[in-house]
Parts: sequence; C-alpha cells; structure tokens
Amino acid sequence: MERSKQKQLNQSEKQTTSASDSSVNGHFDGMVAKMTGVALSGSGESSGQKPPSHALESWREERTRSVEDNEMSLPSIAAAYTTILRGLGEDPQRQGLLKTPWRAATAMQFFTKGYQEKIIDVLNDAIFDEDHDEMVIVKDIDMFSMCEHHLVPIFGRVHIGYLPNKRVVGISKLARIVEIYSRRLQVQERLTKQIAVAITEALQPAGVGVVIEATHMCMVMRGVQKMNSKTVTSTMLGVFREDPKTRDEFLTLIRS
Amino acid sequence: MEYQKVTETSGICNGKLLSEFNCRSGFSELSIDTKKTPVQRTNETSRKEEEDECRLPILEAAYTTILQGLGENTERQGLLRTPLRAAKAMQFMTKGYHENIYDILNDAIFDEDHEEMVIVKDIDMFSLCEHHLVPFFGKVHIGYLPNKKVVGLSKLARIVEIYSRRLQVQERLTKQIATAISEALQPAGVAVIIEAAHMCMVMRGVQKMNSRTVTSAMLGVFREDPKTREEFLSLTRSA
Repeated sequence: MERSKQKQLNQSEKQTTSASDSSVNGHFDGMVAKMTGVALSGSGESSGQKPPSHALESWREERTRSVEDNEMSLPSIAAAYTTILRGLGEDPQRQGLLKTPWRAATAMQFFTKGYQEKIIDVLNDAIFDEDHDEMVIVKDIDMFSMCEHHLVPIFGRVHIGYLPNKRVVGISKLARIVEIYSRRLQVQERLTKQIAVAITEALQPAGVGVVIEATHMCMVMRGVQKMNSKTVTSTMLGVFREDPKTRDEFLTLIRS
Repeated sequence: MEYQKVTETSGICNGKLLSEFNCRSGFSELSIDTKKTPVQRTNETSRKEEEDECRLPILEAAYTTILQGLGENTERQGLLRTPLRAAKAMQFMTKGYHENIYDILNDAIFDEDHEEMVIVKDIDMFSLCEHHLVPFFGKVHIGYLPNKKVVGLSKLARIVEIYSRRLQVQERLTKQIATAISEALQPAGVAVIIEAAHMCMVMRGVQKMNSRTVTSAMLGVFREDPKTREEFLSLTRSA
C-alpha cells in the first residue's frame, strides 16, 4: 500500500504532506480514545513510521463518528445553539425559534456527516477490471461544504478526471468520495487534495486530476462581501502533472 | 414599528397581522406596546452594538461546544480561532438587530413632484433561516409609486439590509420591507419581490439544488390595479 502510494505521489507531494501538522480534519485525536480498535487496524504495516500521506489521512485508517455519537452529542449542541440565539439578542421562546436549536444541531451534524463515513465502505465493491486506459471524467458534481474558519457554507462544483490503469471505479463512487470529504469542516485546498489522494490510493490509476470551483459564503456574506468571486483549486497527480497534453485535454473537456 | 399606521395603507387591515408582527423581530423581550406612538419606539432595538463585545465570550464557548460535539479536534491549527471567528461572523450576519429604520431614513426623504414608478432591482440579499440557522440568499426587487415624496435609492437597499441581516423567514422579510417603505413614505403603492435560494433546502433535507423560492408583497395601488402590477413585474423581469 505504501509502495504504490509512493509511486503515484510526486516527491513534492510527500514533502508537503509530511510537513503539515498531524491533526487535520477527519483525523480527530479526541475520538481515538473512544474508537479503540477501528483506527489502529489499518496501520499495522506501517508500524513505527507515519504513512506518507499521514496529514491527508490515508483512507484505510479513517476514524468515524457513529450514529450513536451523534445522538449523544445532540443535546449539548442544541444547548449551545440556544446560548447563541440568546447571545444574538433573539428570544428562543418565540414560535419560530422554539425548535431551532434542535434543527440547527441536526443540520450541523448533517453538514459534517463526512466524519461518519469511510471511503473503504463506499468503494470496496465497485472497482472493476476493465481494459480501458482512456481518460474518464465526471464533471459538475455539486459540492457543499463548511468553511472550517467561519462555520459558513461553501458550495461549488467538482470536476474529476482519471486515467485508469486497467481498473475503473463505478462513476457514482467518485461523487460519493466528494461527498465524504466535502461534508466536513474544510479548507478548499485540502478538500481537493483529499479527493485526489483517495482516488489514487483506491485505483492506482496512471493519473488523477481534480478541479474545484466554489463560492465561499464567508467572502460573500461577510468580510469583503464580493458577490461574484469564485475560488478555483486543482490537484494533478501522476501523468496529469507530468504530461501537459493530458492536463490540457482534461481542462478542455471540463470547460466545454 | 407603528402598526396603527399600517392599517392606513390599503391591503393591510388585519388584526392578525398586527399580533404576528408584535411577536417577531426579536423585540419581544422589550415587550413593545402597540399603543405607543411611533416616535417613542424609534430607538428600541433588541441588541445594542456595545453589547456585542461582551457577548462574544459566551458565543465563543457555545461554538467550541458545538465543534467538540461534532467530533472535531478544537486544538488543531485550522480550528484554533474558529469559535471566535464564527461568533463574529454570526454577529455580523444578524447585525440587523442593531439598526432601526428611522435612523437611516429620516434624512433622505425628499419632496419631488414625481408620480411615476421607481424601481430598484437586483439588490443582493443575504439572510439566515431562523429554523436551521443556515443562509438563504437571493435578489430583492423593490418598486414604489411615490406620492410627492421620494427616498434616496440606497436607502431602499439599506432597508433590505436591516431586515435581512436577522433570523428570518422569507415571507416575513418581504412583508417587513414593504411595510417599512409604506410607513416611511406613504406612497401610492409599494411592491417587493424576493427570489432566493435556501441552503436549508439545497444543502440538506430534500437537496434540490436549483430550487428558488419567490415571495412578493403588493401594497396599495400595486395590489388594486393589475396594470401597475404588470408594469412592475415586466420591468423587473427584463434584463
């Protein structure tokens, strides 16, 4: 697993990933104590050494929040929302706001449901051996995420392309990978990279390209208040990075 | 707001409306009395700007609880100051509670001999759904038929800002904007249309990406005369 990862990831990729801090979203150390067996099972082979994409959370080692965790933390989150409503000068007892703390808490748990899911559950069945080595693109995947700095929505579109190496994945699985990583507290740069790395690790393709174009409500609704601004990030791995023609083909096809 | 005057504007003569407005707008803790004259109520808001600073720590603590409840690690670099940022962002997005109409409008009403329709359209609006605390945003189109009194154009946009930067329901927002303009100018008629996308429907729940909610409020001659309403609607449709 580690060797194939090293093949796919460029040198510079590894350097940047190992430099980042050890707790990035999805890698919440607070939960490790609770989920004893799950987290450590995947790291047997890399004992004594951090996996190269540790900061990007190798998808085999993901921790998850469970439905029971959700239920247990709901009252405290709802209480926090009641405090917020009062702190904003509203009256939490008025009709429109009576059940808002619970609705807002449930909504927030939905917006971070990516923490409950693991790539391996979503992907394991849908990888097929096909004699196909032309580019496969799934574009205009609607993406909704939460800015981890302001807790305000981010939304946009994801375009994914990969060059299979005799293994293709079910198309909807690409969209599901987007869902898992986007439904978290995110930074757009990290989201792009996580999606690309997950596809790389699952399929070992010749190359992967991910482009995300999104609008950040934290820039539109507050702060600089630039209504029409969009942020575009991309990650190119493997042959998409090395070969300009492949990258060009990908970028042209997602534009059209 | 002074709801006695509301009844003078045709189209709203409804006791139910009065009581609905009373329990809204975050003013209930100040228990606004409808029998008070307008002037006495001009300075009441549910939140003063000075209080925002002292409320920040409470909001921060609440956001920290939320982050921990979601299973995140609040010590990681990206989340260290998030409670503070989120609290300030939330205060900004509900800053309509600080402001009241009369502070903004009082200076900018002018006597002009103009009786043709005035429309300000495509006013970007951002608000928070009061049921889920999730944004909804869209465009507001306002039209009014002045009755010898016109208002500064940006004041229409400021009225939208005051009412939208609150915990809102789109129907109520539309009506509040229309009522505020009615009361301030006593025009022959006011029309407000809001077309918005609700993140609570797009990001969660039914998850319909392209759905838009359209609400409108027609007061005075816009309600009674179909031709006037037609003119307004066609002028706001055109590019």
